[in-house]
Amino acid sequence: MHPVFRTKNGFLFYLAPWAPVGVMLALMITAAGRMRFAESVAIAVPATFALACICLAPWYVCRALPLRTTPGWKIWTYQIVGAMWATTLVMLIAYAAAVGLNRIIPATSVHFHSVAPVLAGMVDLIYLLAIALYYVIIAIDSSRQAELLSRESELKALKAQVNPHFLFNSLNSISALTTTDPAKAREMCVRLSDFLRASLRLGERAGIPFGEELALTRSYLDVEQVRFGSRLRISQDFDPVCAAVEVPPLLVQPLVENAIKHGIATLTEGGEIAIVSKRLRDRMSIMIENPFDPEAPAIRRNGFGLASVRKRLQARYGQAARLDVHVEQNRYRAVLSVPCESAEEVEEA
Amino acid sequence: MSIRCALVDDEDLARQVLREYLRSDADVEIVAECANGFDAVKAVAEHHPDLLFLDVQMPKLDGFEVLELVGDQVAVVFVTAYDQYAMKAFDAAAVDYLLKPFDLDRFRTALERVRRRLGERSPKPNSAELKTAAQPPGQHPRRIVVKDGTRVHIIPIGQLDYAEAQDDYVALHSGGKSYLKQQTISSLQATLDPARFVRVHRSYIVNLDRVAKIEPYTKDTRIAVLADGAQIPVTRAGYLRLKELMESG
Repeated sequence: MHPVFRTKNGFLFYLAPWAPVGVMLALMITAAGRMRFAESVAIAVPATFALACICLAPWYVCRALPLRTTPGWKIWTYQIVGAMWATTLVMLIAYAAAVGLNRIIPATSVHFHSVAPVLAGMVDLIYLLAIALYYVIIAIDSSRQAELLSRESELKALKAQVNPHFLFNSLNSISALTTTDPAKAREMCVRLSDFLRASLRLGERAGIPFGEELALTRSYLDVEQVRFGSRLRISQDFDPVCAAVEVPPLLVQPLVENAIKHGIATLTEGGEIAIVSKRLRDRMSIMIENPFDPEAPAIRRNGFGLASVRKRLQARYGQAARLDVHVEQNRYRAVLSVPCESAEEVEEA
Repeated sequence: MSIRCALVDDEDLARQVLREYLRSDADVEIVAECANGFDAVKAVAEHHPDLLFLDVQMPKLDGFEVLELVGDQVAVVFVTAYDQYAMKAFDAAAVDYLLKPFDLDRFRTALERVRRRLGERSPKPNSAELKTAAQPPGQHPRRIVVKDGTRVHIIPIGQLDYAEAQDDYVALHSGGKSYLKQQTISSLQATLDPARFVRVHRSYIVNLDRVAKIEPYTKDTRIAVLADGAQIPVTRAGYLRLKELMESG
């Protein structure tokens, strides 16, 4: 919607600043055309009003020709042709006003000719200013929109990262432990809180050191360990040089969650989840491997997992990062490969 | 009236809650504890419990599949962290469902419902038919489960060659073997992907991928010969459906 018409009295507010513009034009006409001020006003008022109305139009042109995606020559051509049309129109109206005035006070039109070039220049300038202003408004609008969108996606990510089934199953485990092993129940409350707090805190940030991501994943595994007991075994091989590498948060945890949900949980005897991270020159690779039952009943997915990890990778690294999935008989392997970026430069090994 | 029940959940702690709550009921006896769906079906065949407390997500067979296989022999109470649409659809087949975590009062309510249901001795719904009704539109199962005494066979959907109606049962043919399941052929057809399985005859559904050739038989009927040599009668209407699918594929 046109910014002027967004509010109820928008058009009146829009017209207000045109009053001084009209006065300015009138003064200019008086000076350049050696006319009386009253005569100048009679020409300037209709011309200014016409200009005010015409200056509403370029909003639509600006919206159709966004700065970022339109080639420069196209923007210039369209806008300059538009400005010429607008100026011609305003000049015609001013001229008509002058002719009308001429009927009452002879010889006014003679003076108008001498005023025309200056007036045309001013009108042109004002029109171009309006275009610039519209582009500024568009930029503000889109940045506000982007902010809204990112906040929305943040909320969605927060909701998705804490899987409700994980939460309810954990609470059920705590409920079971309260009578048989109160100390352990308390410990699990603490572990669950650790995980929730960390994921809420880290989820807001654009990037975190890989070490922190791993700690978050660890606190998640601690909770699941209580639920699955001896069915869940973890082996971790962590290259310490990876700790400082910056990654988007919740890159590894969803993959480990998948390894449990689609892997360990499908096996009666459970199995081992292997997490291996390595640094190779300017890249880091993270591998998560788990056994699974290829004949397991279909799992009712809730859509989070691989897709969200891919989206995070895409958002941060574009084409420079990869997530590959290998399935061999009863083993599932997810391999992440990301370029190394860190807050403080990591020295080359 | 005393109730014999089995606890089915792959998490020990989840079974522990049930055990604890049941301790206060002298007339409920736990006859079996199972950590996966296979064991649950086996336990039903061996111990004939009146009641199953059944988790949904489990190794081997999930709770829905267990219900499908033994739901006509035993009352089922789902115990799960799920509260999704599927649970509502299964409302009719299960006596109740408990959302984890739950308290003793809620548990007692479920037991009350079970007592009432067991007292009614009302005709049991055919669980296979209920499963058809609960299937979300546009989705098809990846496998079919069949019970054979205490054993459970799993037929991946791609390995089903054809199905044949036999009174109240369907015979599912897969890899030269045949499995009997209590289900009508129409309700089976309703669960299958219509792009892969065709009803070629009142009593036959065939897997399109398995059809090797079609030979004329009488004026109006034909015979479909499958890759393994099995011959299946095809009616005129069935032939038209088959032809349409083969040409579109």
